[in-house]
Amino acid sequence: MIQHRATVKHIKLLARDIWQAELSAPEIARCARPGQFINILPVQDWSAVMRRPMSIAGIREDAVRIIFKVVGEGTRLMSGWQSGQEVDIIGPLGNWWTDYDHEYPILMGGGVGLAPILFLHEDLIRQGIRHALVLGARTHSEHFLVHNVGEARILTTDDGTTGIKGTVLDGVEEVLKTARPSAVKLFACGPSPMMEAVRVLAMERKYACDLALEQIMACGFGNCQGCVVERKHGPKTGPTYRHRFALVCKDGPIFNARELA
Amino acid sequence: MCLEVQIGNSTFSNPILVASGTFGYGFEIHELVDVNRLGGIITKSVTLHPREGNPPPRICETASGMLNSIGLANVGVEYFLEKIMPEYSNLEPQLIINIAGRTQEEYSETLEKIESHGGCHVGYEINISCPNVREGGMEFGISARMTEKLTRELRQLTNRLLIMKLSPNVTLIEDIARAAEQGGADAVSAINTLVGMEIDIRTRRPKLFTTYGGLSGPAIKPVALARVHKIHQAITIPIIGMGGIASCEDVVAFMLAGASLVQIGTLNFREPAIAVRLVEELTHYVLDEYDGKLRDLVGAVELYDQ
Repeated sequence: MIQHRATVKHIKLLARDIWQAELSAPEIARCARPGQFINILPVQDWSAVMRRPMSIAGIREDAVRIIFKVVGEGTRLMSGWQSGQEVDIIGPLGNWWTDYDHEYPILMGGGVGLAPILFLHEDLIRQGIRHALVLGARTHSEHFLVHNVGEARILTTDDGTTGIKGTVLDGVEEVLKTARPSAVKLFACGPSPMMEAVRVLAMERKYACDLALEQIMACGFGNCQGCVVERKHGPKTGPTYRHRFALVCKDGPIFNARELA
Repeated sequence: MCLEVQIGNSTFSNPILVASGTFGYGFEIHELVDVNRLGGIITKSVTLHPREGNPPPRICETASGMLNSIGLANVGVEYFLEKIMPEYSNLEPQLIINIAGRTQEEYSETLEKIESHGGCHVGYEINISCPNVREGGMEFGISARMTEKLTRELRQLTNRLLIMKLSPNVTLIEDIARAAEQGGADAVSAINTLVGMEIDIRTRRPKLFTTYGGLSGPAIKPVALARVHKIHQAITIPIIGMGGIASCEDVVAFMLAGASLVQIGTLNFREPAIAVRLVEELTHYVLDEYDGKLRDLVGAVELYDQ
């Protein structure tokens, strides 16, 4: 965990309301792993008191990449960043995706939940691990990659304007039809309804499944105890007080789907 | 020149402490901050039994502040003594253990367990003001009679510092402060959070699971300053002031209002090194403006002739 005054190297609009920024932070970039996040101070004044946790979407040279959608005050301020500006960040925080070399990994991202999924995608390509990528959005203008079934890169839209009409679950069916893997593991990040649907699918078909969760956070490293998620079948290790309400920042953000059942 | 300050017979290297519940037990933050520069660390509340805390959502941002309803989630006194206490042996800042409870017996039993275990801590801060759990001690915090009785009881059990942490959610905080002094407290700390609420108008749900929570951060600073000033006029024991402190100017204002020491709370989440930075800044300020005499600030606000 490092606190760093990162420099905004690039910032650009990727798709409707979806921004990508690259923040120069060599020490964080060197050790960050797919699934981890940084906690960002959007502005120095009091217009936003709390930091904003953002999943790392990739590493390029000495910079960490984030992808965010303008949803509130903090992200609106972030969309106004200028190249060269300094931003206070803490990271890398949280646990990371693991166990992707025994089963066929299907990576699923919905909305801006695609950030940690893209980082894992990039990492698996680097390691030469065969996998599929399924990204869902409401409509064409929210996508910025190209649908390509042959390369196991599936896009879905609610309105059918790009890729497959439907949800990421329909995208997974397409993958299964084409790749016919013997064993599957799902890695997913997205809005709550999508996460619940993925979790149910994994339970029904007995797929291994890891979900990256979001929660409102203040500190990002276990002090405020604000970012809990209810763990119904938690590991019975560590101090008992956190068996039921686990900290997304420290015990997560990656949780096994079985824990959340 | 130094920033040393006394409570009873105990000396703090400087008046900047970190508030309970905003610094964990002081270890998580170690990677980012040299905690040994602080005047003191107040632990997260410890209770007789482990507490899992409230269901989510537990926090939300508000204008210049935040609301929380954590619900005193903590490891419990047994785990604290066995696993956490030994880690403090090399700590330089004064360590103050914050205790919360439901009944007088729970407070006493928790404090006695810590006393009989021993440790390097200089004292206790007694949380009689948590707004977020029914059994968070608020029934003590809102009653002068109960506050005095609890303080008197705990006073029998320890020679270490006894600090009562007061709630602003009362009619006259100075009456509660006076009761703590009469019960034998060495100091009071003020203020705990103000009861607040936020509503998500889209879902029509409160933004906290427990509906109400505690408001903290720069938004509450003027309220806190007024309470500290009122308490200062009512008691002679030291006041540890807190409530939205975010700058050296804020620290100085609290001291002028009557605080001998201060605690940094919510801002630790935003800027983990803020308390250490404020030690530096206060050192320069006191040297430049008060010829190095920190004591000259305390309660030195000059009121208009009425």
